[in-house]
Amino acid sequence: MFDKRVELFSGLSSQQHDELIALGVRSTLPSGSVLFELGAPADHLYVILRGRIRLTLPMPIRGHEEDILVEESGPGETVGWSALIPPCRYTLKAAAPLETEVLALPKEALHRHFEASPATAAAVTQNVAMLIGKRLQLFQTMWLREMQRMLELRCA
Amino acid sequence: MEMLLMGVCISLFGLAVTAAAFGAATQSDRMETKPLPEHQPIAKVVPAHFFAEDVVIPAPPAYKVPIEALLLQIDSHVRLEQAAAESFLEYPTTALLHSRTCSPLIQ
Repeated sequence: MFDKRVELFSGLSSQQHDELIALGVRSTLPSGSVLFELGAPADHLYVILRGRIRLTLPMPIRGHEEDILVEESGPGETVGWSALIPPCRYTLKAAAPLETEVLALPKEALHRHFEASPATAAAVTQNVAMLIGKRLQLFQTMWLREMQRMLELRCA
Repeated sequence: MEMLLMGVCISLFGLAVTAAAFGAATQSDRMETKPLPEHQPIAKVVPAHFFAEDVVIPAPPAYKVPIEALLLQIDSHVRLEQAAAESFLEYPTTALLHSRTCSPLIQ
């Protein structure tokens, strides 16, 4: 599974690739389990190997707080990149809607490895920047579409 | 002289009769005077209240869509919007940016 489809490892040499994987721990999440909670210290970065991860934010609906889907990620995608960005707190809640396997990369181990291997650090940082940029573009588009609907309702 | 006295007497008699008649007439007017209307009670002025005395607590609204169905609609809406946004980012055009959605949450 650790091939070019893993967005975080894009552009890495085979050696860099293997060194990064060696830092991680494979973990299987049962269906319905929570990977991390909103606001919790972000101490791991996760690469999804199998299954799905739902990223949600809480929203009060009819007097109850519900987890509202923000994004769903699948195999090859990375979640929890807040671990690499201060203040290192998860900004979403992540849960597995079905049995899911992830590679958990500890933040501290990544930082140590990046200090020892600046080339890997540069490549991974660039990949994370691309992930963040993609998400930003995605959500600004979604936000503009919602704004458009709101204005149509207001002008109706 | 006698004639003069007689005229005076007749005049006095006439004056007396006239006075009596006038008195009788005015007496009847006074008797027929309508009594003053009784004091009509003024309609009560409702004092102004800042808060209503009888607060009616509305019953919880009966929702047409069950919460589970609503959450599924939100899920579906997010996925459709994400797909629409990804299409726009792949080929950025105004038409794709403002394309219509078939999301049940909006319909």
